[in-house]
Formats: sequence, structure tokens, C-alpha cells
Amino acid sequence: MTQLIQPQIVWTAAMSAMFLPLIAFGLILLITHRWARVSAALAIVAAGASLACSVYLLATLHDVQIPLRSTQTWMMTSDFRITFGYLLDPLSLLMLVIVAAISLLVQVYSLGYMTGDPGFARYYAFLSLFAWAMLSLTLAPNLLQLYIFWELVGLSSYLLIGFWYEKFSASEAGKKAFVMTRLGDVAFFLGILLLLMNLGNLDILRLNAPETTDRLSPGLLTTAALLIFGGIVGKSAQFPLLTWLPDAMEGPTPVSALLHSATMVAAGVFLLARLFPFFNASPTAMSVCLAIGAISMLMAATMAMVADDIKQVWAYSTISQLGLMIMALGAGGYAAGVFHLTTHAGFKALLFLCAGIFIHAFGTNDMFTIGQAGARKRRIPMICLIVAAAALAGVPPFSGFFSKELIMARLADHPNPLWLIVGLLGVWLTAYYTFRLIFVMLRPRPGVIPQTAEGHAHHGAHRFAEGAMNVVVLLLAVVAIVLGWFEKPISAFIVAPHSALAATGGHHAWLLWVTLALAASGVALAWLEFGRRTATQKGFVEKMPALQTLFANRWYLDRLYRRLLDDGIYRGLSRLCAKNDQKVIDAGLDELAGGTVASGRMIHGLHAGMIQYKLLTISIALGLLGIYLLF
Amino acid sequence: MALFYAEFPFLTAILLCCGAGLLTIMLIPSNHPQLIKWVSAVGSGLTLVLSVYVFIAYDQGLGGLQFVERYPWIESLGIQYFNGVDGFSLPMLLLTGIVFFTGVLSMWQLELRVKEYFALYFLLVAGVFGLFMGLDLFFIFVWYDVSLFPMYLLIAVWGSTRKEYGAMKLTLYLLAGSALILPAILYLVAVSGLNTFDLVTLTRPGLFTPFQQKLAFLLLYLGFGILAGVWPFHTWSPVGHVAAPTGVSMVHAGVLMKIGSFGVLRLGIFLCPEGWRYWAPLMATLAVIGIVYGALAGLRQTDLKYVVGYSSVSHMGIVGLGLATVSVDGLNGAVFQMFAHGVMTALFFSSIGYIYERTHTKMIPELGGLSRIMPRAATFFIIAALTSIGVPCLASFWAELMVFIAAIRVFPVHGVLAVSALVISALFMLRVIQKTCYGPRNATMAHLPDVSFSMSLPRVILVMVIVLFGFFPGLMVDMIQTASVPLLGGSAHDVAAVYP
Repeated sequence: MTQLIQPQIVWTAAMSAMFLPLIAFGLILLITHRWARVSAALAIVAAGASLACSVYLLATLHDVQIPLRSTQTWMMTSDFRITFGYLLDPLSLLMLVIVAAISLLVQVYSLGYMTGDPGFARYYAFLSLFAWAMLSLTLAPNLLQLYIFWELVGLSSYLLIGFWYEKFSASEAGKKAFVMTRLGDVAFFLGILLLLMNLGNLDILRLNAPETTDRLSPGLLTTAALLIFGGIVGKSAQFPLLTWLPDAMEGPTPVSALLHSATMVAAGVFLLARLFPFFNASPTAMSVCLAIGAISMLMAATMAMVADDIKQVWAYSTISQLGLMIMALGAGGYAAGVFHLTTHAGFKALLFLCAGIFIHAFGTNDMFTIGQAGARKRRIPMICLIVAAAALAGVPPFSGFFSKELIMARLADHPNPLWLIVGLLGVWLTAYYTFRLIFVMLRPRPGVIPQTAEGHAHHGAHRFAEGAMNVVVLLLAVVAIVLGWFEKPISAFIVAPHSALAATGGHHAWLLWVTLALAASGVALAWLEFGRRTATQKGFVEKMPALQTLFANRWYLDRLYRRLLDDGIYRGLSRLCAKNDQKVIDAGLDELAGGTVASGRMIHGLHAGMIQYKLLTISIALGLLGIYLLF
Repeated sequence: MALFYAEFPFLTAILLCCGAGLLTIMLIPSNHPQLIKWVSAVGSGLTLVLSVYVFIAYDQGLGGLQFVERYPWIESLGIQYFNGVDGFSLPMLLLTGIVFFTGVLSMWQLELRVKEYFALYFLLVAGVFGLFMGLDLFFIFVWYDVSLFPMYLLIAVWGSTRKEYGAMKLTLYLLAGSALILPAILYLVAVSGLNTFDLVTLTRPGLFTPFQQKLAFLLLYLGFGILAGVWPFHTWSPVGHVAAPTGVSMVHAGVLMKIGSFGVLRLGIFLCPEGWRYWAPLMATLAVIGIVYGALAGLRQTDLKYVVGYSSVSHMGIVGLGLATVSVDGLNGAVFQMFAHGVMTALFFSSIGYIYERTHTKMIPELGGLSRIMPRAATFFIIAALTSIGVPCLASFWAELMVFIAAIRVFPVHGVLAVSALVISALFMLRVIQKTCYGPRNATMAHLPDVSFSMSLPRVILVMVIVLFGFFPGLMVDMIQTASVPLLGGSAHDVAAVYP
């Protein structure tokens, strides 16, 4: 520590980083929603200030050994206290900068992408809401605050996926995303309640402390860890809750770049990293992480191999890469997982933003059509796309290569060789499907060139729009190129607090070559099938119809869930309850009421006041009395 | 329970505002509807100001019953005019004030029999206010019935969709409830041998044997439970909501159902704590059935008001679950949820009322694209729906959080089921948003105007309340704590900080 850190300044910076976007959200919603440009300016200024505060915090605190935390009471009852505050340690500082930076870049990019959209102001309001929630999640010092903002992040994701709400598919996708992540969140919430009940404390530093994990019985620890992992599975779209993410691509492309690849879905992985020592105390939970991560990674990669929609390919690839990060963490590779999270945020945002430029220009998501329409003539986005794809495929010297290398080294250290094999298979698949897309777009087969009129190209603001988008992708491309070289300092920075756990993988020289060879062979196969002059542009999977249908139908997971929902809930339980109300409870009561009225009718004759009835009744009564007396 | 007498009778002033409003409305000739509306707005506004004042002026450090007014009335029977407020009733008074005022504003467009409507409306709310501040069992019962009868007329005359059926059903149900409550009250007064209806005196521990408490609690729980929409006595509530006009639905779902749970709390739990502990498992079970069942049944409804009606059943189940936990957190959560749910449903019905007034339909399949046609109106509806599914930083979230924390400790299985119902309620509300607000613009409705700013005033107030208590739950929880901690035998200052 070279200079004295002033707590007030740190506090102000952290609070500003979190709350400026909220202020922008409120102002846009209440006051400036009629003026699109003012709203965008507000949001961007807030995001920029937020980034400035984040960078300041990182710069001041990067060499501070002890995590800084500050909490204030938010709500207090006699049993528990909910606090709000921040925890500044390497992980949260790193994530803070990633989130703030990509938020700002995406907001600038959207100036171009969303030009002329009638909901421009609303769009920036929602992006600001997201930024607030995500930044507060990142800094959360306790699990409950994290959960609260976790839910708010889910809300902003819902609002942004369904941004074009007039489209049925968009509103449906938003709903699906919210409900499926809620499913995971219920588990997460139960995990929190379990911990609260047994520990009375949800402070993250305390949960991670060895004293706490020792205090809990192994069964309880595993249960809590697995419940929390449920939330991670939902948010990071892992198996079996992975099908919402591809649908979420209905949102505007910059939203997909920000929320559904770089930051929000990474929140799941972030949480796993946040609670890494806690999870690490339960071998069962770690194995489950490995398994779920591996399944998701392979499953999503197979789906990406057959998708034709450019955004869908990146969505599957996101699931797959998040799976890889979870595997890395599950195998104990804290630095590897977090570093991959960092590089992935950069290059995946770049992939989406480049795709967005093409989609914006050509008005279609289909990669074959985009290729035919002349994607390769757009030099800047095309080159940036190739850089990002190379990073994703793990080609040196781009950033993804370094982080994947770390992960593979970690998996190689795991006693079970299966995980390394799975990881390497993932490397090969990733290289293949990534370059399949690149070659399809670079070397289109001659076909009918579609009209580009459908794109949202607006000629007036066209140049500015393109400028804003190009600047952003170029910046991110630079990041994708240079970030890998910072592997050593970044890993050293993030493992500092976990030095006990941070045994880095042993050095496996052969592994480097195997990984490179696999990546190269994936690229080569893609070249053979899609790139070379005589290529048929049919992948090997498409030659196997059974596999093709399986992959294209997302392993039938969607259909299964649809069936469960329709038959189990709508036509099953829900119908049962509604009918029970109508046919049993209400019908029974109506019968009772009707019966009361009818019985009243039956005896009302007695009181009708007609002398004949009375005489008749009297004579019958007397007659009966007489009979009784006589016998 | 400590009593602090009022220097100025603020509570009676609230009742007097209702009474004076009622009288003024009766005296204005019915061909001046605008004047009547202004008088109603001023009268209800005054009650709101007074209830906010009482809420703020209550000394949380002292706790206990404050603003007490106590005058003997029929001494031979031990009946007194006895009012006072504590941490349980203050949120309810505040809620009533808010819903009353916004309910008047939401009916600004009313044209049919304006005078009669507002007169009955004032009578209804006077009963509700009286009940929340009353501390004499006799008066509580009278206020309960005062609030019931205007309801029948309000629904039967100004309602829609099967209004006679709905009104009759509601009235019969609630009368059945009072037929259980009255014997319970008389029984308790009789066995106490003190010849008093004074709630504070009767709360003295050890006054009733466990058996007496169990019996009386069951009667009170069932009687008030009917009003609180406890499963399986809930079916009057969706039907009644649907039949009632906007302002009445707001009071009905927003406040009247709370009378039920408040009655269980104030009479059942205060007088018969043993009975409460004994019947808690039953309460929890019925509550959880209500939570899950309400959400499931709501999933299939096609009428917007039915949807909200069933969501009320589900949310009132959370109140019931909180009460059943016999813990401070459970009580805090339950009372907070009563407040949050009241404001939220008022917002719901106010928005639906507006949508219905413009589109002349509240059938979900006929609506669609409202966010495009009337963005403000749709936004209010969406905010209500998001509150309903427990989005953090909106009031309902905290209430549910506390109830779940309490429930999972006491009844783990019930707690897990209730938490799982969050998924269904999300599905349920998002589906409604999707079908009404989202989707392409409905051509037949495209010409309809959005809410003007002045017209959205009631909804703006309700949203502000939801957001205020969503960001600062402490404002409400600290208040409720002053009553819930002493009730369970702790001291009000006995707040154990878990964190360093």
C-alpha cells in the first residue's frame, strides 16, 4: 500500500458506481422519456461515470491485501438484519470493471443500432436498470443482497428480451427466460434460507471462511451448495435449464451482447467464483459442477454445429463456454475460470456486436444469406469478427487461447481423465462450429442476393450509426488481441485472496500441443466442409439425419418442457383447481343455497295465511292425535 | 399493554371525517355530481392526511397502544368507546387511508347515482377505519357489520358481471363469518366473568383456560378467515371482485380482506394465544394450499379481475402462513404483506378499472397490445403484476421474504411449497401481461386515448407507496416490530443484531 486509502472516497466511488445508473433510469422514466437523445445521453453519461468510478476503485485498491467492505442496515427485525453495502476484493473489482466497461460500450453501440426505434428512451432506461442491478450484484457483500439484485437482473433481462413486445416470439421468450431462471432461483433462495437458518449469517467472506464450512455438517454443506448451484444453473443457462438462452436472442442484438453473453449470464459463474471456497469444501458439489458444466458444454456445442441463425450460434456457444467455466471452477481452477470469464466477456460481446452490424445492415439473421449479401465487403466488422472467432476457438495469440490453456491445464490435473477428454472435445467442437460460421460468411456460394431493404438501415443517420458501432467493435477487438498477454498479472491479482486454494495446474507441455492440434483440426474440418472452393457447405452432422434433427431440436428439451407445462400444469393441476372451484366448492354451495330456498318453499304453505290450509292442517293434526290417543 | 392517552382525538377525527363526508354528501342535491366528487375527495384526503400523521407521530420508542380514547358507554354491559393504535393497526389505518383516497379518485368518471355511491362508500370505509382502531369487542363487531352491508348494495347496484349473484354470495359468506365471530366474542366475554368487552383487559394472560382458547380461536379463525379468503372459503372473493365496481374492488380486495386477517390477529391471537399455537399447523396447511391453489387456479382464468382475485387468494395465503408461524418474523411479514398486498391490489383494480372503462372489456383474449395503445395505463398494470410476483425493491418482496424465512424454520415442508409457488405465480402474472399489454396493437382499440396525467393520479400515488416501501422496508418493519415483539413476550428493544 503506497498511499493511504480514504474510506469516504472509496465509499462514494462504490456507491456512485452502483447508483448512477439507477438515477439515470429514474430520470428517463419520469422526465425525459419523450426525448430520445437526452435519455440516451443521460444513460451513457451515467454508465461512463460508473465506469470511471470502477476503474478508479480498481486502480486504488488493486494492491490492497484485505478486502474492503462496508454495510448499512437496510431492514432489521429482531431475528435478522438485511444489509446493503459493498465488498471490494479482486474478484468483485475485476467483475465491476468488466460490467461497467461492456455496459458503456454497448450503450454507445446502441446509439447506432437502435436509431429511430420508437422505444429508444425506454431501451436506455432498461439498460440503466440493468447496469444498476448488475453492478450492485457484483459488489454484494452478502448473499441476500446478491439474491435481491440477481432477481432484479432477471427482471431487466425479461424487460429487454421482450423489448419488441409486439412480436409474440419476443414476449414469449422474455416470459420463458424469467420463469426458467425463476425455477433455478427458487432453489437458490431455499439454499439461502437454509444457510440463514443454520448460520444466521449470509456474509460472503464468512461463508467462505474455513471456520464456517467446518461448522456445517457435510450433508448440510452439500445441500446448501447444490441448492445455490440451482440458481447458477438457471442464470447461466446450464443443463437442464438451458433452453431459455437461445430464445432470448429475440431481444435487440446489443442486449444479447451485454446481458445474454458477456455479463448477466456470467453472473452464475461469478456467483460460483464468489463462493468458491464454500463450494470447494464439498467434493460432491464440485463434482456436480463438473458434470453439469461438461454436459452443458457438449450439448450446446452440438446445437451450435447445426444452427443457421448467427445469433443462435453465439447463444449456444455462450452456454457452452459458461459450461467450460463451470467445469474449470468445479475442477478447482479458480484463476482459470475467472480468467476465462474475463476474456469471454470481451470476445463474446465482440462476436455479438459484429453480428449486430451485419444484422443491422442486411436485415436477416441467417448466416448463409448474410454471406451471400456481401458480408465480407464490410471490412471492419468482418475482421473484428474473425479476431473474436479466433479468440473463441482458442487460436493463439488471441485472448481465448490463454484462458482455455489455463482451464485445460487444470482439467489435466484432475484425477479423473474423463474431464480432460471432455474439455478437449469441447475445444475441437468450438473451433469447428466457430469457423463453420466464419467460412460460410467469408466464402458464400453464389445464390440469390436478397434485397437489403429490410434492414434497419436509415440513410440519414447512417454514417453516424455505423461510426458508433465500428468504434466499439474495434475497441473490443483490440481487447481480444491484447488481453491474453495479461494472463499472468490478472491471475495473480484474482488468486491473491485464495492463495491457499490457488495451486495452479502443473505444467503439461504436451497439453499445449494437443489443444492446439485439436483447435487446428476443427478449423481445418470447417475449411474442408465450408471454406474451400469446391465445398458443399454441408457439415458432417447434416449427413447424419438422426443427429441433425436431434441437435436442431435442441435435444428435444424444449418439447419436453412444453409438454410438462401444457399437460402437467395448464391441462393438469391448474385445470383441476379451477374446476374444483367451479364444480365442487361453488356448485356445492349453490346447491346448499338452492336447497335452503327450496325447503323454505316447501313449508311456506304453512304460513301462507290461507284458511283452507290451516283447517286442513288442524284436521290432520287432530286426526293424528285421535289415532294416537285411541291406540 | 401500555396505554398512552391521546391529547387530541386523532382517531375519532378520522371517523368524524368519514361521518362528516357522509352527511355532506347526503345533503348535496344529487344533480351536483361534480360537487359530490370533490367533497368525497376532500373527505377521503383528510382521512389520508390524518392516518399518515398518526403513522408518523406514533412513538416507536414507547410502543404499546397510543392515541387512546376511552369513554364508557353502556356500563352495565361493560361496553366502552375505546380506540387506540399500535404497530399492527397503524399500517392498516395507513392502508385504508391510501386505498380510500385513491378509490375515490379512481371513480371520478362515475355517472350512475353518484350521490348514493359515495355515501355508501363513506359508510363502508368508516366501518373499516372503526374496526382497525377499535379496542372494544362490541364495537369491533358492530364496525365489522357496518362495513358489510354497504358492500352488498355497492356491488348489486354499481357492479357488473353477475352482480346480484356476486353480491349475494359475498354477503352470505361474510354473514356466515359473523355468525361464528359473535358466539366466540360472547363466549369469551361470558367465561371471563369480568363483564367487559374491553380487549385490553381480556388480553390479560391466564384469563382463559387452554380449552376455552382453543375453542374460541377456532371460531374466530374460521369466522375471520372467511373474510381473509382462507382456502376453501375463498370462492366468494374472486366472484365478488369481478362483480364489484372499480373503487369497491379496490376497497374490497385492498382493505376488506385485511379485516379478516387483522381480526384473526387482533381477536384470535391477542385473546387466545394458546389456541393460536394449537391451531397453527392447521392455519399453515390451509394457507399453503391457498398459496399454491390460488396461483394454479388463476392460471386458467380469462377475466382480468378473476386473475387478480385468485392472486389475492394466493397472497392472502402468505399472510396466513406468516401468522401461523408464531414468530416475530412471521407476524412482521404477515402484517407487511397485508399492507403491501392492499396497495398492490388497489393498483391492480384501479388499472383494470381504467382499461375496462376504455375498452369495455376485461376478458384477456379480447385485449392485447395495450402497451402500444395506452402505455401509461399498461405500465401501471405491469408494475402491479411485478409487485405481485415479488420483484425485489417493490413492497411485497420484503413481506414475502420475512414470511418465508419464518415459515422455513417452523414448517419446513410448508415453507418449501410456498417458495416453489413463486414459479407458478411468475408464470401466471407474466402470462397475463403478455396477453393484455404485449402483442400487436389491437385494431379495434387503436383509437383509444391513454390516461391523462390527472387521471393517473391515484395510480401514481399507489406506485409511489409501493416503491417507497420497496426501497425502505424499514419504515414499515420498524413499526410492526413495536407490536410483534411484545406480543411474543420480548421487549421492544430486544433486537439482537446478528451481524457484527
